[in-house]
Amino acid sequence: MKANQNFSAIYILLAIAQMVICNYFRISPYISVTVLPAMVLCIPLKINTMASMLIAFGTGLAVDFLAEGIIGLNTLALVPVALIRQPLLKAIMGDEISDKGNPFNSRSASIWKTLLAVTVVYMVFLSIYILADGSGVRPFWFNAARFAASLACDGILALLVIHVLNPNDR
Amino acid sequence: MVRNRKTFSTIFNAAIFIVLEVAALGMLRSNGILQDSWVMKGAHAFYAYVWGKTESIKYYFSLQKENARLAEENFNLACKLRDCGNGIAECNALQSGAAHEADSASVAEDSTGRYIYRQAEIVKISNNRQHNYIIVDKGSEDGVTPQSGIITGQGVIGIIDAVSRHYSYGISFKNTGMTVSARIGKTGPVGSLVWDGANTDGALLNEIPHHIGIESGDTVYTSGFSSIFPPDIPLGTTGESRIINGATYEIKVRLFEDFKALRYVTIVQNAGKDEISDLVSKQ
Repeated sequence: MKANQNFSAIYILLAIAQMVICNYFRISPYISVTVLPAMVLCIPLKINTMASMLIAFGTGLAVDFLAEGIIGLNTLALVPVALIRQPLLKAIMGDEISDKGNPFNSRSASIWKTLLAVTVVYMVFLSIYILADGSGVRPFWFNAARFAASLACDGILALLVIHVLNPNDR
Repeated sequence: MVRNRKTFSTIFNAAIFIVLEVAALGMLRSNGILQDSWVMKGAHAFYAYVWGKTESIKYYFSLQKENARLAEENFNLACKLRDCGNGIAECNALQSGAAHEADSASVAEDSTGRYIYRQAEIVKISNNRQHNYIIVDKGSEDGVTPQSGIITGQGVIGIIDAVSRHYSYGISFKNTGMTVSARIGKTGPVGSLVWDGANTDGALLNEIPHHIGIESGDTVYTSGFSSIFPPDIPLGTTGESRIINGATYEIKVRLFEDFKALRYVTIVQNAGKDEISDLVSKQ
């Protein structure tokens, strides 16, 4: 129960952190700093896909509303992450992780498996995000560069977020 | 049971996913000008694809109607062509009241008034027997009478033998006992054309005098000497020939009409047939 409360509190704090990042930390047009996919990935597996999609929708919408940006952009990209979360983790970690219903963390999986899961969810998120943000008017090379740079930057950040969201890891 | 539950859960998740994504797209569209045009572009591409496919399916299912329309148009054009052949420009298409009410069938009379043409569709046809038959969808209510000819623009198909109210039974040209008076070229010698009994597109032209030079590839037409078929309907082209009993040629003819692909035909009725028959019977 306490772990759940901790998770929820940290989840909300991270969402607020994301809003701050969106508003004040614009490093480069080539880099979109986001921790949202990692947050969705860490939602406990006992929460089913439908509920996690609703959580992702709510989180994305909150960030879109309270941060500078286009409303619906994060929401659009985050819901597919919630959709593929369970099948992806089952495929990478096996059934054991979902049977336990524990949150996804670096203790239940090796660093490489964690990195693989993070890469896949970020690829999905960034593909949709960059495509919708560019709306077909930005050149392909710009989108590709933005995708690669953001993936590298966010991947590292995601490992940190996963560590923060799982108190047992610390 | 577990499997059903899993399937239901998958469908439910997919539905929720679609709803959430559509909602997100809606918000995106209303909050960004570029996104608005991007979403609309995508939506239009999707609609165009769906409508295109729908139109294709609709078109496929409307082919029967389209074929009927083309057959009617073809019939009218053939009618005009016949009149042009007679040196008269106008074609007198007469809509018969009964036929029009029954099936909007086109009935036309050529400009000489000698032949009446009715468009018909084949209901049933046999092709693999020695005595083949045809059933067409026009009967006595449409004005069809026995001993009318069945033709297309590419040949003679048969003769109406019996008529019911809505259908007519015809003897196919692919009948070993049926002969058609035919001519090589439009002014050449006349003989009798008969199905060869073996090939679907093969016929034999008999009784051509042996002193006449025959060229392979000449077109064979109806002679117009019978009281059933009008003249100058192309039937086929001549092929090999041989002399029978030292007196006449027997010429192989390759028919133009493909009997296996037949669907629409024209029933031709000689308006003066009864008068000719009376005259013959008096002699």
